[in-house]
Amino acid sequence: MDKILEILREIDDGIDYANEKALIDDRLLDSFGVITLVAELEDAFDVTIEAAEMTPVNFNSAEAIWEMIKRLQEN
Amino acid sequence: MSYDAILYIFVFLPVCLAAYQFTPRRHRWKVLLIFSWAFFFLLSRALLVYLIGATLLTYYTGIALAWLRTEETTEMAEADRSGKREIKLKYQRRRKKALALGVILLLAVLAYLKYYNFFVRSMDLIPDWISLPLTLEEKKLVMPVGISFYTLQAIGYMADVYWGKIAPEGKPGRMALFLGFFPQIMEGPICRYSDTAKTLFQGEPLKYQNLTDGYVRIFWGLFKKKIVADRLAVPVAAIFDNYTQYSGVLIAVGAVAYTIQLYMEFSGCMDIIIGSGKLFGVCLPENFRQPFCARSAAEFWRRWHITLGTWFKTYIFYPVSMSGIVKRWNQFGRKHLGKYATQLGVAAAALFPVWLCNGLWHGARWSYIFYGMYYFVLILAGEAVKPLRDKILSACHIHEESTGWRIVQTAKTWVIIFTGELFFRADGLKAGVHMFRSMFRDFGLSRLWDGSLLELGLARSDLAVAAAGCVVAAIVGHIMENNKNIPQKFAERPVAARWCVYYGLILAVIIFAAYGDGYQAVDMIYAGF
Amino acid sequence: MKNIRRCIIFFVVLALLLGIGSAWISSRAQSMSKYVKGRSRTYTGIAAEPEGSVDMIVLGDSESYTSVSPLGIWADRGYSSYVCGQPGQKVQETYYMLRHALEKQSPKVVLMETNLMFRNPGFFGNIQTSLTEFLRYHMPVFRYHNLWKMLLDGRVPNDDYKGFTIRDGVKGCDSDKEKNYMKETTDKAEIPRTVHMYMEKIMDLCKKNGAELVLYSAPSPKNYNYKKHNAIEEYAGTKGLHYIDLNLKAKELGIDWKKDSYDRGDHLNLFGAQKVTAYLGKYIDEKYDMTDHRGDSVYQDWDRLAEKYLAELKKRIKN
Repeated sequence: MDKILEILREIDDGIDYANEKALIDDRLLDSFGVITLVAELEDAFDVTIEAAEMTPVNFNSAEAIWEMIKRLQEN
Repeated sequence: MSYDAILYIFVFLPVCLAAYQFTPRRHRWKVLLIFSWAFFFLLSRALLVYLIGATLLTYYTGIALAWLRTEETTEMAEADRSGKREIKLKYQRRRKKALALGVILLLAVLAYLKYYNFFVRSMDLIPDWISLPLTLEEKKLVMPVGISFYTLQAIGYMADVYWGKIAPEGKPGRMALFLGFFPQIMEGPICRYSDTAKTLFQGEPLKYQNLTDGYVRIFWGLFKKKIVADRLAVPVAAIFDNYTQYSGVLIAVGAVAYTIQLYMEFSGCMDIIIGSGKLFGVCLPENFRQPFCARSAAEFWRRWHITLGTWFKTYIFYPVSMSGIVKRWNQFGRKHLGKYATQLGVAAAALFPVWLCNGLWHGARWSYIFYGMYYFVLILAGEAVKPLRDKILSACHIHEESTGWRIVQTAKTWVIIFTGELFFRADGLKAGVHMFRSMFRDFGLSRLWDGSLLELGLARSDLAVAAAGCVVAAIVGHIMENNKNIPQKFAERPVAARWCVYYGLILAVIIFAAYGDGYQAVDMIYAGF
Repeated sequence: MKNIRRCIIFFVVLALLLGIGSAWISSRAQSMSKYVKGRSRTYTGIAAEPEGSVDMIVLGDSESYTSVSPLGIWADRGYSSYVCGQPGQKVQETYYMLRHALEKQSPKVVLMETNLMFRNPGFFGNIQTSLTEFLRYHMPVFRYHNLWKMLLDGRVPNDDYKGFTIRDGVKGCDSDKEKNYMKETTDKAEIPRTVHMYMEKIMDLCKKNGAELVLYSAPSPKNYNYKKHNAIEEYAGTKGLHYIDLNLKAKELGIDWKKDSYDRGDHLNLFGAQKVTAYLGKYIDEKYDMTDHRGDSVYQDWDRLAEKYLAELKKRIKN
């Protein structure tokens, strides 16, 4: 989880990621930000994120991202 | 029969509404399907077979994808640990093939009907000394209405099933309705199955609230289309069809007028379409969100023809940016080139196909391809200069949200939009370039007020009403931009106030719409794409 | 229940608003008939004529108002007529135009140009026109909604002679075409179903009002051929109507296609119209025993306008 926050802060450090619940819906992260984030996540957690995962629900908060990572790691 | 025709709004819709209401709930979607196919048949006659073919193809691809998934699960249950991996890979390949087959077949039909002649004509560009063994002749091809729209919907559906985001539709009839629902068949919005399927099939009874909301929305659409867009069509045609006779400020006027025409026309039709859906309790996705409030080209495309942009993002941008090649580039780049260059490379790789497709989707013309590339370059450049721009801004102590900076950005975006639409509307790329260049020749700003505008085919009164209509639309847009729940607030107003607005809207359309003496009906622009 | 009541009130109020608006705009249009342009020009024009003063109503598309000149007939024969033609008039418009004219007039003869009987805007076009014409007739606010434009654009009086406009341009047509366009054949053009339907209504109207319906085809190489002639000849025969095809009488009339058209044989110009007017004026007069009102004090306006018309003709012909 902390690792995710760290990655997120690296992309844009002006956002309170711990509490933000609508990163995508409120356009705090744009599509370029998302693809950078995906690349970083894949590196950091050694998972493959596919295009099918690209839904706002999976990226709206640090928590949601963490849930997705956990799910992908289990597979 | 177009959506702004009196026949559609006051005959077709009411008849359909009545038939819908008097049918038992679980059969209601069938009524919608019958009317949808009838609508399609009235417009495109026997070309209905294309729609039926696409429906069956989409339906069976969905079924096949789901079947492969269940097969996989059963096989997985029996396999041991090492076998599982293999089975997974095997089925992944099979599913990929099934999806590819469906998508390619659909695209082939679209490509043949839409791009064949363009392809043949472009062969002329190949130098003579490369003598090709085949000679192709142009054919007279008639496109079924809405093919550009339902093809994208069908592909989206297949991809969603492939990704496992949605369960496949079990009834071919429902699939037919999803692809062919009559309000959206001609010019979108491009719907995702998960967006519309539920309300489309549930057969909700007609409701007072839905009916009033729907018809108010329809009249608002008529206001934009018939009062503003159909009037502006006249000077726009005058300038663009005789572009060699104009220069300077008048070309600029043409570009701005066309942009406004296109917006009023397309978003107006969208209001009629979404309103039509609403009558039946069907929620179609919005296609516009005050596009002229955008502060960058990228943001503009998140507010203009939203469903097309979303489609490209979901089914091209993300898949490309997550594809093997791009990922490998990402790893390579970060080791050797640094973060900035790598990210830019990824963006370029993912954006290029998006904007090429965007251009081509509008039609097989070099000017459309240019239009796509124009936005590709601008949006990529926007990404490229972002770090530098941020630095300059903070060095000059300019706040991102300060009014002054917002105005600068919006103005810049407007210039980008107007220029883009100039090329979009121009009759071919050559004409577009010619017009763009002549804009800087004898500018003659005074022509804005010396009466030259009255020589473009519109009387003073028409110009005044079109302008007034724009002002009204701008005010409504401004209110919508700043308040998210306007409909709700409006519903809380006393009846008298609401009725005054209704009567005002209806009377404005009756009195000021461009119909009857001296006006001709103008075709819907996007139905042509 | 509450909602249904609410709906009813809403639409009643709306109907009232439109009804009052219609009544008001109709009277305004009538008083400004001199300035009304476009398709509504003749519609308001006929409404502005004094009650029961018109002996013959002429209907049709542009072929009608480029071939018959009421003041020419007046000068020759002394009976009053009005051309209620409109550019590209559709049969639905013809019907409602006649209905509108008959509200105030009881003409002896209704003369209808036949070119519109072959106009077919297609299935949708027909339904749409039937619907809109019905609406425009019963709610004139839909017809006259554009009149507000005069407030901003100013108003220019029409150069109008009871529905006829003087067009003295000359653009003749190719010699081959004019000689051959009425080649005899037994083929028949098709009259669309909608036209049949509305023609019945038009005939009913005429019968009820004691007017005689007469069909005529104005000379026009561009619009007529023998197939159309056969179709109308047969139609008129089965319905017991008089039909005069001037395309077959072009020689008798002395039409010279080099001089008598202003757009290469599509429409007649003033000179062609004079010939047709003289012929038809006489034909109708002899057949239906029309009344000569010249010198009648009630028709002072006609005498005065005829003077102006003849003076204008002199001026044009000199040039």
